[in-house]
Amino acid sequence: MSRCPAAVAPVGPDRRSARIRLLVAEQAVRRGARVSVVDVCTAAVAALPVGGAGLSAMSRTAASHPLCSTDDISEQLEELQLTLGEGPCVDAFARGSAVLTPDLLTNGLQDHWAVFADAALEAGARAVFSLPLQKGAISPGVLDLYAGIPTVLDTEELADALAFADLATLLLLDTRIDETGAPTGGPMPDGCFEDLGAYRAEIDQASGMLTVQLGVGIEEAFVRLRAHAYARGRRLADVATDVVTRRLRFSPDAEPDQDEEET
Amino acid sequence: MDQQLLAKTFVELADNLVADFDLIDFLRLLTDRCVDMLDASAAGVLLADRDGKLRVMAASDERVRLLELFQLQNDEGPCLECFRTAVPVIVPDLGTATARWPRFAAAAQRSGFGAVQALPMRLRDEIVGALNLFRTAPGPFDPAATPVAQGLADVATISLLQQRTAERSTVLNEQLQTALNSRVLIEQAKGKLAERQGIDMEQAFTALRGYARAHNRRLADVARALIDSTEPLAGLGS
Repeated sequence: MSRCPAAVAPVGPDRRSARIRLLVAEQAVRRGARVSVVDVCTAAVAALPVGGAGLSAMSRTAASHPLCSTDDISEQLEELQLTLGEGPCVDAFARGSAVLTPDLLTNGLQDHWAVFADAALEAGARAVFSLPLQKGAISPGVLDLYAGIPTVLDTEELADALAFADLATLLLLDTRIDETGAPTGGPMPDGCFEDLGAYRAEIDQASGMLTVQLGVGIEEAFVRLRAHAYARGRRLADVATDVVTRRLRFSPDAEPDQDEEET
Repeated sequence: MDQQLLAKTFVELADNLVADFDLIDFLRLLTDRCVDMLDASAAGVLLADRDGKLRVMAASDERVRLLELFQLQNDEGPCLECFRTAVPVIVPDLGTATARWPRFAAAAQRSGFGAVQALPMRLRDEIVGALNLFRTAPGPFDPAATPVAQGLADVATISLLQQRTAERSTVLNEQLQTALNSRVLIEQAKGKLAERQGIDMEQAFTALRGYARAHNRRLADVARALIDSTEPLAGLGS
């Protein structure tokens, strides 16, 4: 019995995200634990021409902090960027787009991140690729990959890196569900991520609506929506559709109010 | 046809300076101008993402966005066919298309569209998407409109494919990534605005677009400002 549509082997262009999910899930199995962002990092290092990966939770209002890293160098890079407040990670988060630096020794960069570039080179990094974790206005963090030699990610590798970042985004937001203390219907589906492609608009629209209904920020709104879906064993897309069609309404400190369907 | 606006449009579409380039606004310009100048009530653009999967990247209104999405979800429709065959698909009367695309024809008519022309966005062998013009009234298209629309599509395609930086020969995939995130932003903003003002998604989208146009701002920027409540947006209830 599986509630998870992603358990069915997908065909066509969703192969990439399915393949990435599988790589990440394998890492979790190796660890003997539930899928987490650290598995995204280790899987990315195995799949891409990079030496290490690090991930930081980022926020405009609260403190940003490193979450995980695969080796000493990536750990140093995460700490450096947050301490110095400069670097590809910081830029990627601020701009909301990937910052790809094939070679830290490239002229011009020294001015832009003068202190970071020197420190990163000394730590052993030569190429750095920073990918923002984001879902619209929800931007919980950044995934950083480094290589010890000048490196260019080709089209396929970049597409894979972006897919790792997408998965990390959802995983990071999922940890927030645990924190809200929302009741769950059972163990969270391991590595279960519906194909949000076709239904993305309703989910995002519902998140926006919930910011008003709940009086919370967009990240909290999305987390509450997802928590509700998990608690009831419903697909996120279906819950979102109910919200958008106004069959389901959330209010602060109360169970969501659902119109009973006429039978 | 407004020749001055047409000339201006070609120039704007050919402007491919990377530093300022915003894919969402670029496509928004394309669809808006098609509706303003050509024989179309609404327009949409589908682009293939990094995995070759078609996405709705721009739509002049909510109705047409949903109709484009319908084609993708049901794997059926003229715009899809245009992308796959890389040739124009012109349907002056959707009423006669029920055998060809049964589900799409019904959905289009429910949405109030009677005619469609889908034009490939391609350069030589590379097809990146489709520009789709819809009209409420069925009937033959203005013969002058189609070559102009294809010309606009061609210029837009060249512009997209020629986005470059010093380090890499093409950054289209990265810009697609940013644009896809912008689309999420816009949907999140629509939801917030719709709930706050008690309006539907179509009205919310119209309000956002209207604000962006009136203040000459990027749609994605307005959407973000609305979600983050970082600035007062007159008329949008902030």
